[in-house]
Amino acid sequence: MDLRENERKVLLALKKANGRASIDELAESSGLAHVAVMRTALSLEAKKMVKIHERSITRISLNEEGKKYAEDKLPERRLAEILISMGGEAPIKCLLEAASIEGEMSAIALGWLARKGWARIDSKEQKVRLLREPETGADEKILTMLNMAGTLILEDLSGELREAFKMLKGRKIVEAHEETIRDLELTDEGWRLLERGVEVIEEVTQLTPELIITGKWREKKILKYDIKAPAPRTWPGKKHPYLRFLDEMGEKLIALGFKEMRGPIVEVSFFNCDGLYMPQDHPAREIHDMYLIKEPEYGDLTPYRSFLNQVKETHECGWKSGSKGWGYKFSLLMAARLMLRSHTTAVSVRTLISDELEIPGKYFAIARCYRPEFVDRTHLSEFNQVEGIVVGEDLTLRDLLGILERFAIDMAGADKVKFRPDYFPFTEPSVELSAYKKGYGWMEFGGSGIFRPEVTLPLGINVPVLAWGLGVDRLFMMKAGISDIRYLFTQDLGWLRRKGMI
Amino acid sequence: MPTIEVEREDLELLLGLHLPIDIEELNEVFSFIKGEVKYADEKEIHIDIKDSNRADIWGVEGIARALRGILGIERGLKRYRLSEEQGINVLVDQRLRNIRPYIACAVVKGIKLSDAAIRHIMRFQDKMDQTYGRGRRRTSIGLYDFDLITPPLRYTVSKPDETRFIPLGFDEELTLREILKVHPKGIMYGHIVEPYDVWPILIESKDKVLSFPPIINSNDLGRLTVETRNVLVEVTGTVYSTVLYTLTNVILALADRGGEIFPVEIHYPYEDLGCVRTPNLRNESMELNIQYVRKIIGIQLSLQEIIDLLERSRYGVSKILNKDALIVEIPCYRPDIMHPIDIVEDIAIAYDLNKMQPRWPQISTVGGLHRESSLRNLIREIMVGLGYQEVLTFTLSNPETLFGKMSIPPEKVVELANPKVSSMTCLRNWLLPNLMEFLSHNTHVEYPQRIFEVGYCVIHDEKQINKTRDLEKLACVTIHSSACFSEAKSILDALFTNLDLEYGLEEVSHGSFIDGRAGKIIVGGEEAGLIGEIHPQVLQNWNLENPAAAFEIELDKMWQCLKSR
Repeated sequence: MDLRENERKVLLALKKANGRASIDELAESSGLAHVAVMRTALSLEAKKMVKIHERSITRISLNEEGKKYAEDKLPERRLAEILISMGGEAPIKCLLEAASIEGEMSAIALGWLARKGWARIDSKEQKVRLLREPETGADEKILTMLNMAGTLILEDLSGELREAFKMLKGRKIVEAHEETIRDLELTDEGWRLLERGVEVIEEVTQLTPELIITGKWREKKILKYDIKAPAPRTWPGKKHPYLRFLDEMGEKLIALGFKEMRGPIVEVSFFNCDGLYMPQDHPAREIHDMYLIKEPEYGDLTPYRSFLNQVKETHECGWKSGSKGWGYKFSLLMAARLMLRSHTTAVSVRTLISDELEIPGKYFAIARCYRPEFVDRTHLSEFNQVEGIVVGEDLTLRDLLGILERFAIDMAGADKVKFRPDYFPFTEPSVELSAYKKGYGWMEFGGSGIFRPEVTLPLGINVPVLAWGLGVDRLFMMKAGISDIRYLFTQDLGWLRRKGMI
Repeated sequence: MPTIEVEREDLELLLGLHLPIDIEELNEVFSFIKGEVKYADEKEIHIDIKDSNRADIWGVEGIARALRGILGIERGLKRYRLSEEQGINVLVDQRLRNIRPYIACAVVKGIKLSDAAIRHIMRFQDKMDQTYGRGRRRTSIGLYDFDLITPPLRYTVSKPDETRFIPLGFDEELTLREILKVHPKGIMYGHIVEPYDVWPILIESKDKVLSFPPIINSNDLGRLTVETRNVLVEVTGTVYSTVLYTLTNVILALADRGGEIFPVEIHYPYEDLGCVRTPNLRNESMELNIQYVRKIIGIQLSLQEIIDLLERSRYGVSKILNKDALIVEIPCYRPDIMHPIDIVEDIAIAYDLNKMQPRWPQISTVGGLHRESSLRNLIREIMVGLGYQEVLTFTLSNPETLFGKMSIPPEKVVELANPKVSSMTCLRNWLLPNLMEFLSHNTHVEYPQRIFEVGYCVIHDEKQINKTRDLEKLACVTIHSSACFSEAKSILDALFTNLDLEYGLEEVSHGSFIDGRAGKIIVGGEEAGLIGEIHPQVLQNWNLENPAAAFEIELDKMWQCLKSR
């Protein structure tokens, strides 16, 4: 039997009390607090070491008047004592004066003197005569006991005393209250345990360096815990779940041989639109689809003048790309307009004209993009896109499908894929990727295509460029079980703390 | 991306077969014309057409024309006959030159229109006006009962108060100016003509007004009914090629419903433009190299297969030049075909993308993060290890958040010309305000709170081609009842120690921080950021009740130091 320090103390106290005692008595003899004994009693009862007896008792005490009588003695006792000193007989008046009793008390005191048979009152002669030596009555014993103990349990008193208490109650100098008290009694099992020997060992809650260093821990018992009780919560530092997801996407792309590319947030229209063969009056280029910069309005395309002229001619009449072109007058100024990047494809254009481009090569970017939208459950005005290109001599539409299929399986864990013809102004052919995952159903997972010759040739690239973009936001939302896109940029710290990392 | 609403019965009649009821099966069919079925029941089908360059399939007739090829009901180029009769004349007024210079017309005779057909033509007209016609600014379409009109027509101008007629849907005559004020279409499109002193009108020889382009047609002449047999179609606009192409689309839609097409002679008085016969239904030709097709698609298609796929895409093959080259005839309604690549795509679509064998590109490359991304990730790892929660906030902000609530004077930031909401009017130039805002939304959440973000800020920079520079920064803040400067400094110490870098601090007076508890972070001799205990006024501005300390630092300055070692 494994006992805690307090349990041992209470058992030993009970043994000393011959196997039965009240909580109060145990508190006194064990030196434990009343509540600690109470708590220990319950745990000992659960271990069947003790039995708790509950009983109703009447707790009695003195009231104010009773306390006075206990100090000064009862009035009839005082009268009797004075009467003896006066020779056993005295006029009533003299006796009362000598005892300083007056008023209505006079009758009460004389009455009890007579009722107890200590003296006779001769009303004709107005005299009092002592009849016998006044013995100490049970009522006086109780008064003395109560005065010393404060309270007593009525049921513990002898019959004589109980009768006397009733009398005092009639004299309205004592009070009585009903209450329940608990006694502890050792069970047979408790006795057996004590016979085997119980020793009190000091317990510690917290192991301290001092205990360890001094070796005192050997003399102590380390308190057992309820290991199922709740512990305080700890919030670790964590990466943002959406960014961690994007990191994973990046890692998978790197594993597939893709190099990261970067580009600026504020873009020159040339990289975001014109270089992608989007005509300058294209509906998607209207003001409500892109954020424009207030000041300065235009960037400086001087370093890219030759590319710019080739792009201009391609828009106007096809240049040497084999295309008819859009057949409109291209504005160089409009191509220099500053705006916020509206799609990651702008980064791909920058990579294509960069000196660092390697052919063959695979590139990806995870970039913040901007569109003027009112933010709601399904729209954000800024969001992240995962996009990239594959550049190489012998690339075909089948390679594009192969890349898409690989992404769907590696990144979205898809069970099967489906391709649908799509449209982008800068790719031809264009393909939309749908991924099917058991339990989730079909999901549009990406858009892609082969850059048009009108895009690549004016930028000096004469091999096929496969371009792709992945709908990673929807994938993350599906994985994280969120339906509101605003949670990607959540301001809810509680959610971030609770969000599991799987 | 226009959404096309068609009546199932009308489409099935034009197609000559029944379509599946199931939306997924319907989707399979429409995917061949880059359509996505958004809604379908027994009566209606709504389709998003993704290709914004193919106005020919923005109507039920064009959709039927394309699908008949894909489904193998009718192959090859569909030829439309243009009557060789001399057409009626339209005289154009010189004064339109700078207002709305171009008009194209045609007459379709012997047509019988059902109610459904009329409803659909109206929808098609509206779709063309809204999208291709850019809300009627670029082009607008008018249809008239030809039998009520006495040619020749005059496309001319009128002063706003000089011409009166009954506009469509009204029963009394109004002046042009009144139409702009009271007619729903006048209110909607009036802004297109308002800047001019005289406004365009189309009238016939007996001075009856056909229309007030691009606002509204006449109620008498410009209303089609099931009784109408002969229809005059007119398109006016500001871009010549678009005007011609729009007319072609409307005319072919009517011809698909059984009409015969008659030309109209347009007499322009412009120096560079004289007499023109419209519509132009000429099919262009383009040479297609077979090897090119094979190289792009990646499948060794035979010549016959390619011809078959072309014909299912409704191209004509007018000549086989040799084993490697064809002359492809492009339908007059397909000006979107600009390059042979466009034909290759149609071949691939007709072949069916899902029948192709995907292939992982056989090129070997080495993947990797951008150098600076590696440093960013390292810093994030250290911050997480220090117990900080990463947050993600918007880069778009506003001066009140960036400066007002941070108790500092406004700085020059990169502003948007067309902000959508007042909370997003510029790009942030520092991160800390976003973190403070984040904390202000979490006052009910258990403290201590320790958060960080690595994100972009944008500042002006004349030297760059985009006149701005992105700054990648780290900011972190700790907030709880005993947060103080030393706590932030110990975090900064830990960060630098773990990067094997050194930094210095210079005392600074900054409105966001308590005086005497703020410093500039100096890295490699250059100012790289700020550290400090947040000023109680700033805490109050963000309704925060606990002390906080923070730092913010530019990653690039740390990167430069690491590189120079």
